[in-house]
Amino acid sequence: MLQQLINGLSIGSIYALMAVGYSLIYSLLNFTNFAHGVVVTVGAYLGFYALTFLSPKLSVAIFISIFGCGLFSVFYEVVTYRPLLIKGTKRLYLMIAGLGISILVENLIIVVIGGRFKAYQGVGATETIGIFGVNIGVVDFQILIISILALIFVQFIIEHTKAGLAIRGAAFNFDITSLMGVNTEFLITLVFMLAGALAGLAGIFLGIKYTAYPQLGALTTKAFISAVFGGLGSLPGAVVGAYLLGISETLISGFISSSLRDIFSFLLLVVVLLVRPSGLMGKNIEDKA
Amino acid sequence: MKKILAAAMILVLLATMLTGCGNGGTANKVSKEEDVIRIGWIGPLTGDGAPWGQAELNAIQMLVDETNAKGGVKGKKLVLSHYDNRMDSVETTNAGRKIIDQDKVVAILGTNSSSASIALAGVCESSKVPQIATTATNPAVTVKDGKARPYTFRVQFTDPQQGTIMANYATQELSAKTAAVLYEIGNDFSLGVSQFFEQYFKENGGTITTIEAYKSGDVDFRAQLSKIKGTNPDVIFIPALYKEVGLAANQARSLGINCQLLGADSWLTYDLFTVASDAVEGSYLVGPIDLKDPILDDFKARYKTKYGFEPGAEGGNAFLAHDAFMVLIDALNRAESFTGEAIRDAIEATKDVDCLTGKISIDKDTHNPVKDGFVFKIENKDFKFVKRVKF
Repeated sequence: MLQQLINGLSIGSIYALMAVGYSLIYSLLNFTNFAHGVVVTVGAYLGFYALTFLSPKLSVAIFISIFGCGLFSVFYEVVTYRPLLIKGTKRLYLMIAGLGISILVENLIIVVIGGRFKAYQGVGATETIGIFGVNIGVVDFQILIISILALIFVQFIIEHTKAGLAIRGAAFNFDITSLMGVNTEFLITLVFMLAGALAGLAGIFLGIKYTAYPQLGALTTKAFISAVFGGLGSLPGAVVGAYLLGISETLISGFISSSLRDIFSFLLLVVVLLVRPSGLMGKNIEDKA
Repeated sequence: MKKILAAAMILVLLATMLTGCGNGGTANKVSKEEDVIRIGWIGPLTGDGAPWGQAELNAIQMLVDETNAKGGVKGKKLVLSHYDNRMDSVETTNAGRKIIDQDKVVAILGTNSSSASIALAGVCESSKVPQIATTATNPAVTVKDGKARPYTFRVQFTDPQQGTIMANYATQELSAKTAAVLYEIGNDFSLGVSQFFEQYFKENGGTITTIEAYKSGDVDFRAQLSKIKGTNPDVIFIPALYKEVGLAANQARSLGINCQLLGADSWLTYDLFTVASDAVEGSYLVGPIDLKDPILDDFKARYKTKYGFEPGAEGGNAFLAHDAFMVLIDALNRAESFTGEAIRDAIEATKDVDCLTGKISIDKDTHNPVKDGFVFKIENKDFKFVKRVKF
């Protein structure tokens, strides 16, 4: 039981890193950024190449993944979303553009790097610490700590800085915030930077644990569900949703049936959405309009 | 200006359409229709299965070139068309239609995976083009409702054989009394092998402690493995693809599971060790071929001369592709004409064709080959041949 809880926490913390990215962008622009998953993939590959060719130090690779993915996110935002936003297109087209980016980049990776997986070497993916008969992976422990620090850092930016105030303002009402003299283009760039950086962090962790491969980004589906579960647009909601989903998945496979895991998880999501349509911690739709 | 731009765009589009037709490989180079026999290969060239597919295609391309250099089959040159299926059933169906309708092949070699081969069997049946699967192992690949699928054959041994060999080996040679199973839902290969393992393990007096499942694309198995750990089995049978095996083995070891792992032919690739370095040491698995068998040396040398490296690092695919090709050539030599129906009849009558995995005959009732299986032990990141099992 305790072991399953630990397993759930470690899965949940990676879901959380990715889910926050969905919520950040949703809160500001009211659309789901389907290109988010591929940023995670890019992060995993950046981390792999940094470790292989630059330095065997994990800290260097993590920095490169975070920074590289932050830049990559800003790049595709400027190239694809910004022109569409300036034209004032419907949110639906932004989502389709996002899907386009993810398909494009995934296939570019297959063509340029190849479809085979890349396994990180020498990062101690199998070392464990045993406490009270429970085994905790060293990497899992690091991931848990670094994820929580990163999430606290993002929360600090949002709550206690001027830019964070502007983001919260824009999340409440984008047009009025813009009228108040806030540079909303800069805000969007900043939000994509943050979301990308978190995705990069998630990417390198996923790479260490599960190897880097072109379809790695598909794991963000679960993160998206977490974000909806916790209430799209709410950062604490995304984190809570992610941990709840991670823990419920492991408990369901441990105590009910591993083959029915996803059915139960999705049923849980449906029930939550039936009772609270805006998610566990989402604001009411009236509030946001 | 706009008109010029539009014209240029149309030109670019036309150009891509024309070059797009070249996908079928060498199909355009030969002009006289009567002088050639068109054959096809379908398998993964991208995605998780790419190492297997590339090895098969290399082997077959080499054999086609060699056969043509010797004057072809009955004086006709072979022309090979190939398509990537990403080991996906839908992609396979599309590739099958394309290769039969556009490239006009008379026989198809492949695919390597059971799900994709079953998808391709439907296309082959409706178009009356025979198919020889290379490494697909599920019984349903060649048999449907108790009858052999008329146009589908294979050169690989089957899941019942794999599951049975491993169950017998575990109970008799490793004296295992209890076993747990971890398999992939929705994967015909994984499900098939685990069902037969379960059946024969129980028949031999063993107990299956728990059967756990995961979905395609899953990368974390700790929830399932923690449950398996709770039931404390002697062995864990994991008939999964090598990446999942590697991850599951690592996660099992990090959860403190020290028992022996058992596997199937999908483990037989050195890529396994890039994911699971020490985690799979001491495990046993069953494979279609002993990669160090001296009988393979000549083929390996020819392959190395052509491609610069030996086949085998990715598993037995190159050798089974060779065997599928040999069975096809034997059938083409005996066939009355080069139509799908005539070639089908000839393949069905295959008897003692000299292949790399032994002499292959085709069983008329199941379209399966009659041949041996090999048991291996993993030692020092290598597959050590232990025993040959007759069927």
